[in-house]
Amino acid sequence: MIVIGMVLGLGITGTTVGESAEDQTTSSASFTFPNDPAGFRPGPGSEIASGYCLICHSAEYVYMQPPHDSDRWKEIVHKMKHVFGCPVPDEQVRPLVEYLVSQNTEMSVDLLKKPDMPVAVTGTAGNPQSGKTVYERHCVNCHGRSGRGDGPIGPALIPPAADLTHQNATGKSDEKLLALIRNGKPHTAMPAWKNALSEQEKLDVLAYVRTLKK
Amino acid sequence: MNDLKESLPGLTRRNVLRTALIFGGIGLLEGGRLVAEAAEAITLPFERGRRPLVAFPQKRPLMVMTTRPPQLETPFQVFNEGVFTPNDAFFVRWHVAGIPTSLDLNSFRLKIFGRVQRPLSLSLDDLKHNFGQTELAAVCQCAGNSRGFSEPRVAGGQWGHGAMGNAVWKGVRLRDILDRAGLEKTAVQIRFNGLDEPVADGTPDFRKSLDVEVALGEHVLVAYEMNGEPLPWLNGYPLRLVVPGWYATYWIKMVHEIEVLNSVDQEFWMAKAYRVPADPCGCVPPGQKPGATVPIGRMTVRSFITNWQDGASIPTGQSVTVKGIAFDQGHGVDRVLFSADGGRHWQTAELGKDHGNFSFRAWEARFTPTAQDTYHLQSLAINRIGEAQRTSPRWNPGGYLRNAVETIRVNGI
Repeated sequence: MIVIGMVLGLGITGTTVGESAEDQTTSSASFTFPNDPAGFRPGPGSEIASGYCLICHSAEYVYMQPPHDSDRWKEIVHKMKHVFGCPVPDEQVRPLVEYLVSQNTEMSVDLLKKPDMPVAVTGTAGNPQSGKTVYERHCVNCHGRSGRGDGPIGPALIPPAADLTHQNATGKSDEKLLALIRNGKPHTAMPAWKNALSEQEKLDVLAYVRTLKK
Repeated sequence: MNDLKESLPGLTRRNVLRTALIFGGIGLLEGGRLVAEAAEAITLPFERGRRPLVAFPQKRPLMVMTTRPPQLETPFQVFNEGVFTPNDAFFVRWHVAGIPTSLDLNSFRLKIFGRVQRPLSLSLDDLKHNFGQTELAAVCQCAGNSRGFSEPRVAGGQWGHGAMGNAVWKGVRLRDILDRAGLEKTAVQIRFNGLDEPVADGTPDFRKSLDVEVALGEHVLVAYEMNGEPLPWLNGYPLRLVVPGWYATYWIKMVHEIEVLNSVDQEFWMAKAYRVPADPCGCVPPGQKPGATVPIGRMTVRSFITNWQDGASIPTGQSVTVKGIAFDQGHGVDRVLFSADGGRHWQTAELGKDHGNFSFRAWEARFTPTAQDTYHLQSLAINRIGEAQRTSPRWNPGGYLRNAVETIRVNGI
């Protein structure tokens, strides 16, 4: 994500993300994937795109598309739902198509990777009451009402949705949890909410998540 | 450094060091924080063609079409560096996002099962020590390579020409493995599955099948090395199928299951996706829906100019070299023709070293602009069975099989 410079003789510059490692002694190997850098731009319906499309793929899948009319987008959403198993409910298909059409008529969002620095959580704590509304709108599908990762699609995801009542989550600092909400979790269905939610909504939903108990 | 590592997920000291190496040590440090804002992009010559350059692990900065699952395009100038595509520049295309992030190489097994007499479970050591080893140069090209140039545009991954690469692959002949397992007489197709898994419950797993006759071909490999190195993670570590002459959709990455079927594979990725119109052209009139379709198969013959870019200027009277590459589906390139006037007159280009029928073949021609005018440089490859590139693009809804003569416009000055 970080280093920029000239590749000598090529004139190509770029950012670097992730890492790979091979451990000769244990014969294990590992790989770190980067996160979806941008997510969807805010707008009517963006929460549906963030909540469903990003389960399986990054937002660039939409932003790279040439201009398609709304019939074509309808076909694409239909294929995602009925062929690829996207759990988007019927009543949200139309607003989703409208959102995708709105995104497809504008020039491509700036998808350049920029490292997202964790934001310090200041004294202005979120409001758990408002956070509950945000949570029930955007988070329950995967994390479930209880927060245990038992929403309708949560357990089937690879990896499964996080149990927010487990110590892995409750033990994290506010800064870390907020960074996860903002940037999503690399290589999982947890999308980046930095554009889809306002700063206040992020703080609110964080405050609500803190009230979830085992 | 510590504070950097803390604040930036995925970044390690080792990563920073390697990156500094890649960039010749010009990494910029500002107040202890490396700056990313100056990152660059390459813009492909079609709408929505802007692609940021990002270096994934084991890769130099490549053009990011999508981050998850990753689809990375090779910047075209890489093809001018040589006929073999360096591993760190080789394109990347995954279909489903559940790609493993760790592997235990001791417990990894390649399983052969289904309609066989002796199901096998082979370790990496078995493959490397108990079978004959083969090396072969072959082009790996995404079925959707160049899809972004389809006119009218079609849905799907919007690749430029960089979803291809040429490498020396080392591994074991698939037919040696299948021989050891012993195909039953009823075997019709062989299905290959990689370790990648879909994220959502209802998504069809990415598996592909080849007819038995194709799978038993002498060039089909289960490969563990690419250009003398282990496969990069994103190119299918630790094992991938290599099907020379066939589009990369069949070159299953992280392959761990080989299943012998007694009927034609009816799963989504064979029966619905990656299909082309059934006629010999593989095309339909632009915008129309095809009738019968068949699974995409062998590649078409193609060539590219690699050392001149659109809009370049060349002083009149100065003789310059035009360099390029050509390839086909395994008959081998017979000749490459070069034109500086948009195809009205052609000269025969000189072919470079022959690395085998499945490899890129380098070619060269000379060109001298005589007027202050725009010159339309083109190349046209013909293979050893007389198949030539098309002079006008074919069209199909998948944006597949493109092999039109491409044009580079340069200006005499």
